[in-house]
Amino acid sequence: MIEPFTDIVPSIWGTLNQGPLTLTIVLHTLIVLPMFWIYKQEKKKLENS
Amino acid sequence: MSNKSVWTSIPFWRRSAAWATGVASILLILLTFDTMGQISMGTDADLQKGITKRVPAPTVINYHIDYKMSEKRGHEVPVIGKKEPLFGKELSPKDAAAMLHLGKLTSQAKNCMNCHTLLGNGAYYAPDLTKAWLDPKWEQMIAMTGSKTKEEAMVKFLMNPQNYPTHERRMPNLKITEKEAKALVAFLKHMSSIDTNGFPRNFSKTVEQFKQGGTNAH
Amino acid sequence: MLTSIKSNKLQYESQKVGMMYFRVAIVLFGAQLLMGLIAAIQFIYPDFLYGIFDFSVARMVHINALVVWMLYAMIGSVYIMLPDETGQEAVGIGLGKLGFWVLTAAVAVVVLVYIFIQIGSGSETTIWLINEGREYIEAPRWADIGIVVVVLIFYYNVFFTYIKGEKTGIMTVMVANLLALAGLYLAGMFFTDNISIDQYWWWWVIHLWVEATWEVFVGTLAAYGLLKIIDAKREIVEMWLWIEVLMLFGSGILGLGHHYFWIGTPEYWWEIGALFSALEPVPLVAMFVHVLYDWGKEQGAKGDKPAINNGPAMAWIVTNAFGNFLGAGIWGFFHTLPQVNIYTHGSQFTAAHGHLAFFGAYATILIGMMYFGVQKAYGLERLKATFNSKMAIFLITFGVLGMTVALTIAGYEQVLVERAELGGGWDAFFTAQALPWMKQAMGWRLVMGVVTFVGFVYLLLDLLTIAKKQQN
Repeated sequence: MIEPFTDIVPSIWGTLNQGPLTLTIVLHTLIVLPMFWIYKQEKKKLENS
Repeated sequence: MSNKSVWTSIPFWRRSAAWATGVASILLILLTFDTMGQISMGTDADLQKGITKRVPAPTVINYHIDYKMSEKRGHEVPVIGKKEPLFGKELSPKDAAAMLHLGKLTSQAKNCMNCHTLLGNGAYYAPDLTKAWLDPKWEQMIAMTGSKTKEEAMVKFLMNPQNYPTHERRMPNLKITEKEAKALVAFLKHMSSIDTNGFPRNFSKTVEQFKQGGTNAH
Repeated sequence: MLTSIKSNKLQYESQKVGMMYFRVAIVLFGAQLLMGLIAAIQFIYPDFLYGIFDFSVARMVHINALVVWMLYAMIGSVYIMLPDETGQEAVGIGLGKLGFWVLTAAVAVVVLVYIFIQIGSGSETTIWLINEGREYIEAPRWADIGIVVVVLIFYYNVFFTYIKGEKTGIMTVMVANLLALAGLYLAGMFFTDNISIDQYWWWWVIHLWVEATWEVFVGTLAAYGLLKIIDAKREIVEMWLWIEVLMLFGSGILGLGHHYFWIGTPEYWWEIGALFSALEPVPLVAMFVHVLYDWGKEQGAKGDKPAINNGPAMAWIVTNAFGNFLGAGIWGFFHTLPQVNIYTHGSQFTAAHGHLAFFGAYATILIGMMYFGVQKAYGLERLKATFNSKMAIFLITFGVLGMTVALTIAGYEQVLVERAELGGGWDAFFTAQALPWMKQAMGWRLVMGVVTFVGFVYLLLDLLTIAKKQQN
């Protein structure tokens, strides 16, 4: 299931790079996901003010 | 009670901007650590044991370098072969490093990058130098410069390029000394051994074509 | 603009220093264009100044003048904005003025050495005194250190004024961004034998400047400009600004990877670089929408009073909205995917993108700020566009667009012939250079360059005379 590594030196980033989009999805998720939590916090602040 | 939406709240966007910037920066730093490890120069021991590094040791200039299609990688890759000393002399790791150092220093001091591209970066007035060491043109230049080897032709050309024009656009004389010219050749040979993920594409295909006596150009 | 030295209505010293920076900026812009013309001529007549002032020298001065004039205009803009936003005079502005003179003297020496000495022997001395030989940052090491010192003085002015005075959203972004912008310059100040590592760090300076910190800078200028010129509401422009920062840094920081496809770095950069940099145009769309929407909203909002109090500045800001999106966004997107880039890397297509991007994203809004500065220097409530203003913006924009189209056609042919067909070697390169599309494109590029230069002359004339004429 995990594609064989073709680049010269193995690395975690290369492993995450399984096919089109996999590495990007991981990185984008890391960036965007916590924004939901920020949204919830700010929403609560506005509703309480 | 506020009717304001989070979507127009400055604190929301400010915090999100701070978060995104912070995470992206940290990811970049982590990736940089990984990449630095992968593009540091290899050692002479790597070459002797046949361990492939993206940027080989300076002593790669003692070896034959080629550029061939790799089915596994899906593009052309440098191939380091048998011993092929530069200027007929096999250099120690220390001497090879010194030559590479002088070559790179000279390439900057003479401002090569403002006419040529190196690894595709630079100016677009003169050819890319990434695989200059492997360029089939040198066969012609050996005859034009009255040399016996490719490296001799390269040195002669670099020292007096104005004498060997190949096009109406000529390389100027940059007062390159013989020592600097030899070092530049070492630098170019080393650069051609760097794994550039297949750039320039089709280079090896046309080398074959050229050797068979022709190109598709009109 | 020169005469504003005497009829100065500026209350703050900081703003006077800002105008000083603008004056040098416009001169360097002219120098950039002249050098560009020389280089463009050499593409067509290669013997022009051969051996005396070669292409490499003309090109080096062209790109250095570009970067330096833009940095000057950026510093000038900040000195003008600073007291206005914070509500007080800049801290330590006397030192800031000294910094201006030191920097300008250093720039003059560097340029003279570029022109008259040009290159040196393969030694550390050359790197320290003459030329470092790395694109855009050729300035010798001594000058790098001088630049760091002067920029530290500038940042000292900015930071301590910000701390002391009112902390608006615009200034908060500006102060944080400037720290990154200035700090990144350090990444280029070293020598290594390893060309892959050399280029890895080089791109930290160039990319994280033009595709991150400089773009955020433009965002802050546009926000400030809209506030001042069309009376846009602060909450609105500042909200947009934070959104833009989120998208610019969210895409641009890892978008750096699109320069790591072919320089010896690992293959995972293909995906990271491609898919983060593909998003870089999105914040530019946001900036485009923001500027035009706010402008539309403010029309007629003040009844009889005109919505725009500085015609030329607003025109250049709107041109920035278009040009940034087109030059940086669209032309950049064309060649950001590795499947395309492997063929276009280091070709005339790159030059096409570079010209329209630098112009559309930076030159436009910085020229707008110069008009803003001129209006303030004469204390004018309103600055109206003149015939010269219109000729300037039309000819410069048309000229740069024309150059870009020409270079795009040249790049297209080069990619087909030199790269795809012939594999990019020595003969391949010159074969492609000799074909009709390339040759004709280079001809048109020169023609359009002349058009741009004529536009510049109108611009210079306008900046020198516009405010004086409207002083009633």
